[in-house]
Amino acid sequence: MRRLLDGLYLWAGYAAGGFLIAIFAIMMFMSAGRQFGLNIPAGDDIASWCMAACAFLGLAHTFKSGEMIRVGLLIDRLPGGVRRVLEAVSLALGLGFIGYFTANAVRLTYDSYRFNDLAQGVLPVPLWFPQLGFTAGLAILTIAFVDELIIVLRGRRPTYEKDPPRTAEEVIERAIAGGV
Amino acid sequence: MDLIAISGLLLLVLVLLLAGGVWIAISLLAVGWVGMLFVGEVNNPGYVLATKIWGNAASWELAALPLFIWMGEILFRTKLSDDMFRGLAPWLNWLPGRLMHVNVFASGIFGSVSGSSAATCATIAKIALPELKRRGYDDKIALGSLAGAGTLGILIPPSITMVVYAVAAEVSIIKLFLAGFIPGLLVMGLYSGYIIVWALLNPRKQPPPEPRMTLAHKLRESANLIPCGLLIILVFASLLMGWATATECAAWGVLGSFAIAAWSRSLNRANFWMSVMGTIRITSMIMLILAGASFMSTSMAYTGIPVALANWVDGFKLSPYMLIAALTLMYMALGTALDGISMIVLTTVVVLPMVQKAGFDLVWFGIFLILLVEMAEVSPPVGFNLFVLQTMSGKDSMTVARAALPFFWLLVIAVALITVFPKIVMWLPDKAFAEKVVPKGRS
Repeated sequence: MRRLLDGLYLWAGYAAGGFLIAIFAIMMFMSAGRQFGLNIPAGDDIASWCMAACAFLGLAHTFKSGEMIRVGLLIDRLPGGVRRVLEAVSLALGLGFIGYFTANAVRLTYDSYRFNDLAQGVLPVPLWFPQLGFTAGLAILTIAFVDELIIVLRGRRPTYEKDPPRTAEEVIERAIAGGV
Repeated sequence: MDLIAISGLLLLVLVLLLAGGVWIAISLLAVGWVGMLFVGEVNNPGYVLATKIWGNAASWELAALPLFIWMGEILFRTKLSDDMFRGLAPWLNWLPGRLMHVNVFASGIFGSVSGSSAATCATIAKIALPELKRRGYDDKIALGSLAGAGTLGILIPPSITMVVYAVAAEVSIIKLFLAGFIPGLLVMGLYSGYIIVWALLNPRKQPPPEPRMTLAHKLRESANLIPCGLLIILVFASLLMGWATATECAAWGVLGSFAIAAWSRSLNRANFWMSVMGTIRITSMIMLILAGASFMSTSMAYTGIPVALANWVDGFKLSPYMLIAALTLMYMALGTALDGISMIVLTTVVVLPMVQKAGFDLVWFGIFLILLVEMAEVSPPVGFNLFVLQTMSGKDSMTVARAALPFFWLLVIAVALITVFPKIVMWLPDKAFAEKVVPKGRS
């Protein structure tokens, strides 16, 4: 079970990586192709769908790696017991809101499918198809939240918690990962 | 309940959630949801949430964000940072303060290929800190200038923080990038000027000068910086001339970074995937925060709080300078607890209407905010650059914070200068945008 879940998060992350490469390829092709009169029909639309899939499919992997920003000022200084309770409350709240978000994203995608909504642009793709990446990413994040909540309730250390960096290389890695 | 009371309550909820360690994106969703409870006519807030965020996320303009992040990620994994010190040092030896200026210039150059401050600070410090120490430079100024100059990463385009602001404030990414250039040079000038003055006042703390080099030798030392210089010029020129949209420009930047990585033989399969996955993690993190923020803004717009607050503040009849002074203090306080991106997405929804009402340009305000985020990064207790340097130098946090203090004040001066002379910010974007008819989709 553990391996299955970790594989799910990681492969969703790789899929997100694939969409990143796709955005790059489309933008390069559009930019260079314009000089030669080549054009991808609805390239802008495809790039934006790739963007949504890229951002949302990577969520669970990001969350599990501890890259989701929170204010650690207080929680990092609390003693173990209190901290675990707060950790569980945070996870439960997170699960609630991400679950709520996911449920509505599923409804949105299902509605697009049911009413056969088509994209507005040059390429009339049924909208549910690009929405799948967005919805699947959120669903996988919900699973990751359930996963972490169970880990914390069992009294173990959450996966996203990291030790402070020690070497200069670790500091640089963290600094890059922070994105700020 | 009147609107001011509701906003007080929402603020309380937000502070409790954030202080309790709830992830920032989730806190924003929660506040948006609570806000919706006060609005009668919206019957399904969750559906609004999903629709709105899908609409915002599937955005071709936003695709510039992961590409700019990727560009930085690729370049961190090259030998660029090692070349930087060697390549710049021979040219700066004649200035009072000597190699101390390498910190400022190297950060400025690295800032033009990277969109992150902490990463700029860490990358430059890794090389500069031991080199300066070995040559006997003053620790305090070395640490302070590294902390301060590292913040140039977000002021000199490309900048992750600017993309986030541009999305939150609905202004053009390109305009904002262009607006950052001259203030970036201004801040570099202030830093270098301070180092010169300090060096002239403390001649005894100066180490002996480096041995002289012939011009050919100097050029040879700097040769490895040429590809990076070309990349910067390419990105800058395509933004300025309007050759490419921000997203295309970012894609060219990625291509150029690959070329540099290949040139320095640091491009391999492992590095490539590390850069891809690193990019994904930053992108996803920022996008969920943006998603939470866009839901919160929607909910706020339904409640009418931003307009009410803008009117309320307008009622005080503050002069524009007073408003900016008050906002500066507010952001300095926020900066003690929050990172830059959160600071921006949390506040834009209520602050922008006020600022607009007072007659400020939103592009100008973006640069103002970026400078305040920079100040937050060099002030305790959560200043990220301080943390980076503290770990790298092995000094305690107070020493590093005190060393960074003069550079914090220089940023305050920069804020004052751009407030009194807004042209510093607006000249370049106005010039670039006035001369051409902007093609469709290139806003």
